[in-house]
Amino acid sequence: SVTEIRSGFTAIKANIQARDTIRTLSILSHPHSLHKVKPLDRCCITHQLFNFYVDKVFKHCKTEDSFVNRKISSIANSFLSVKRKLGQCHEQNKCLCGQESAEKFKQILANYEGLNVTSAAIKSLGELDILLDWIEKS
Amino acid sequence: SGELYCSLPNPRNVHFESINMKNVLHWSAPEGTGDGVLYKVKYSVYGVGRWIRKPECRNINSTWCDLSNETSDYEDQYYASVKAFLNGMCSDWMETTRFNPLTDTKIGPPMVNVSSTEKSISIILTAPEKWKRSPEEESVSLLQVYPGLQYNVSVLNKKTKKRWWFSVSNNTLVVPWLEPGTAYCVSAQIHVTTPLLYSGFSKEYCIATLRDK
Repeated sequence: SVTEIRSGFTAIKANIQARDTIRTLSILSHPHSLHKVKPLDRCCITHQLFNFYVDKVFKHCKTEDSFVNRKISSIANSFLSVKRKLGQCHEQNKCLCGQESAEKFKQILANYEGLNVTSAAIKSLGELDILLDWIEKS
Repeated sequence: SGELYCSLPNPRNVHFESINMKNVLHWSAPEGTGDGVLYKVKYSVYGVGRWIRKPECRNINSTWCDLSNETSDYEDQYYASVKAFLNGMCSDWMETTRFNPLTDTKIGPPMVNVSSTEKSISIILTAPEKWKRSPEEESVSLLQVYPGLQYNVSVLNKKTKKRWWFSVSNNTLVVPWLEPGTAYCVSAQIHVTTPLLYSGFSKEYCIATLRDK
């Protein structure tokens, strides 16, 4: 669940964010903040972001620290179970994707692909508090 | 900017101390330096990256700087940095870790108001307000910032020393079936479920139930 993801991330937040030395770029929060997403688009963007983390981010987040690696894999497993639930909503057409969410997600992918894959993955992982703050806001 | 040769030891333990989103940067003086060290401070919004100087914290000798105004948007994250100067020498810029006001602030205890009847006491709880620039500015309760905010309430019978615990989401609690003419003491704490945050307990507010007529 999201609470498990939050507690897992809190345990490694300082470690992961310290590995991200690029201050001038964010994957999720700039130039367009997640917080500006319209309610109608929330479900679709959440679904896309969970797919993004599972498909693109976690596999590139290996570190030399076994404690951190264990936490990352438990976070990834929690993401997988939430992703499945969101997938069911998507199949039942309760999670429709509009033009704005497509644009928003395109921007996030562009931010991600603007970096080499390891830096992009570590930065995305370090921004989990941004994602969770946004998800839990409503 | 014509930086001087920087061989001064660095400021230490540069970090944010935040209570109810009053976000103050703190640090310790460089090792082995006595009086006379001056500092300057800059900050940046994560993902924007441009460092911005804080004029009010330029050439200061105190080891703190209030950045509440600059970090008041809690949907953003921030870095801050400090540099020391002494006798024409300077230190490196020393940075904080990434500061997220929403998850990294400490929450103050709630305000507690109690009143009583013969056999019950009523408790009204008020969450603290988010830091604001001036008294005239509109107040924002932390309840608006953290929708999942709850209260843990302790009620102690001063005579029997029996204590009850309650966890409530709304801000009023009535405790019924109490003994007339008895003193009860109430204390409360804020609990945010996610992100996981706890305030300290408020001080105790004691009140006696009315005597039997």
